[in-house]
Amino acid sequence: MTTAIRPVTTYDTRLAWPLGLAFLAFFVAPLVMLFVLSLQADPKGTSYGLMQYTQFLGDLFSLGVLASTLWLGVKVTALCLLLGYPLAWLYLKSPPWFRTAIILVVLLPLLTSVVVRTFSWIVILGRQGIINEVLRAIGLIDAPLRLLYTDAGLVVALAQVQMPLMVLPLINALMRIDPNLAEAAAALGAGHWRTFRKVMLPLALPGIIAGCLLTYAAAITAFITQTLVGGGTMLFMPMYIYQQASTLQNWPFAAAISIIFLLTVLAVVSLFSALGRLSRGHAA
Amino acid sequence: MTISRRQLLGTALTLGAMHAFPGLTMAQARPLVFATFTGSWEEAHKDVLVPAFRKSTSNAAIVLDPMLSVDQISKVTAARANPPIDVMLHDPGPALVAIDNGLVQPYPVDKSAHYKKLLPDAQVATGPAPFFQVVGLTYNPDKIKQAPTSWSDLWKPEYKGRVGITNMNSTLGTGFMVEIAKLHGGSEANIDGAFKAIEQLKPSLAAVAANPGQLATLFQQGQIDISPGNFNAIQILKARGVPVAFVAPKEGAIAFKTTVHIVKNSPNAELAFKLIEAALSPEVQTTLMQPPYLIVPTHTGVIMKGEIAQVLAKDFADLKKKFVFQDWKTINQQRSAWIEKFNREIKI
Repeated sequence: MTTAIRPVTTYDTRLAWPLGLAFLAFFVAPLVMLFVLSLQADPKGTSYGLMQYTQFLGDLFSLGVLASTLWLGVKVTALCLLLGYPLAWLYLKSPPWFRTAIILVVLLPLLTSVVVRTFSWIVILGRQGIINEVLRAIGLIDAPLRLLYTDAGLVVALAQVQMPLMVLPLINALMRIDPNLAEAAAALGAGHWRTFRKVMLPLALPGIIAGCLLTYAAAITAFITQTLVGGGTMLFMPMYIYQQASTLQNWPFAAAISIIFLLTVLAVVSLFSALGRLSRGHAA
Repeated sequence: MTISRRQLLGTALTLGAMHAFPGLTMAQARPLVFATFTGSWEEAHKDVLVPAFRKSTSNAAIVLDPMLSVDQISKVTAARANPPIDVMLHDPGPALVAIDNGLVQPYPVDKSAHYKKLLPDAQVATGPAPFFQVVGLTYNPDKIKQAPTSWSDLWKPEYKGRVGITNMNSTLGTGFMVEIAKLHGGSEANIDGAFKAIEQLKPSLAAVAANPGQLATLFQQGQIDISPGNFNAIQILKARGVPVAFVAPKEGAIAFKTTVHIVKNSPNAELAFKLIEAALSPEVQTTLMQPPYLIVPTHTGVIMKGEIAQVLAKDFADLKKKFVFQDWKTINQQRSAWIEKFNREIKI
């Protein structure tokens, strides 16, 4: 046979050009422009160089802002995982009617605006808010606690706002685990805790990592909640960028901060993806 | 009838192109875009200024796009040749930035009917001032029975844990810091005294709000009982029944000369002129002076009455005496350094 058989299982790459060109024009090009802007030495654009980057990386305050933002993400993700896993587990073990209720409760925050949810946290955490009123009614405290504009208050508010992003991938992952495996482990004599550690957790790991990834990325970039619940003294990367760009009109520095933040988040995402690949080997 | 894929794709792309390039469809000129301030200003302008404008231009299309001064500058700088805003409203600090960056057209003074009758301070060729924002002490009269009289009252030990301030990102925050500096021997050029004073205020501070709008929420929630505040920002709260009152400190309430500008390269320069004329006219300014807006006028033909006359100043001569006008040219030079310093040092 001399005629070449046209491959039918692969697609012509030319089909990807329209979307690829749109991607190039509206995503890659602005990013390149942002990078070029960050190379300007001062707002007027008189010379180019890496001054903005050295200014950020050499400044302890700026590095502190970056570190506190990344650390905030870790705390929020940990809290979300702690609270989200039992919820996903509950979903798994529930009868169908209760499952609908859980899904509704989990999805409801996503249907309301972030601003509304954050303002409701201001009402809850405030001096005359629910938490303080309940504690006073029980008699545990005399004067209201300061919960708003504290780190703990911010972590809790962010965890609630980002909870759907953790619970939904977890539910998805847990649903895929074969229920017979848990029963087989029990039949072989493993207790609940051992079954959880040796069987369920490794199998659920891809879902856990997916949920953690989404929650982490959302928590560190949550401009609205960080500003409204964190207040004017806790400075995180999103507010830092806004302050430099809008209030101080120092666009090159803001661009440099944005690029550094983007690279940091990409590094974290790659770390999570690498862990995900390892864990899938585990599960296979 | 069956539509071929080619027809569908062609139609969709054409509709998309028509939306993306309105010039192709020979659409009518875009409406006048007026970037007013958020909150009570937007409501005041929507209720009073827009109808007056519509009357003087037989129902020309106008759109209010509320945003902060600094955001207006960002938006116009990003698209100088075809600005998305036609009329800008600015606090004194950002106004100087906008003028320096060449974002405004000079106001056609000769064509104006009202310009010459404004207060001399309000007559600025790059953009006249239709009103003053007034900053003083705002407090909760239910919790604080004795009205405060001076900026230094914020440091009183009985207000421990109930004081709120904003950071220096806003005009309110910066103006307040300059006034505190003046109390400690500083000036618009040197506010180190203010930073030291805020260090001492830290035990009393309940909150450092991220923007002045948040201060209003904090009063409502009972988080703070006293703070520096904008006279007009609390009017909405009062109208909703939140206990909050304004008092001018004895050193003088700070008056921010708020100026309105026609953006350079605006396609609606003529309509923009009419809008500003309406804002400067004595009729509009008198209406805006009444409750619930209580906006301080700048036209000398307006007779000061009502709450403004009682709380702020009886007439324009009194206004000039009682209010403090700050030198924003000097302030602007060091503002970014001060904001960075505030970021680093003030943490509660």
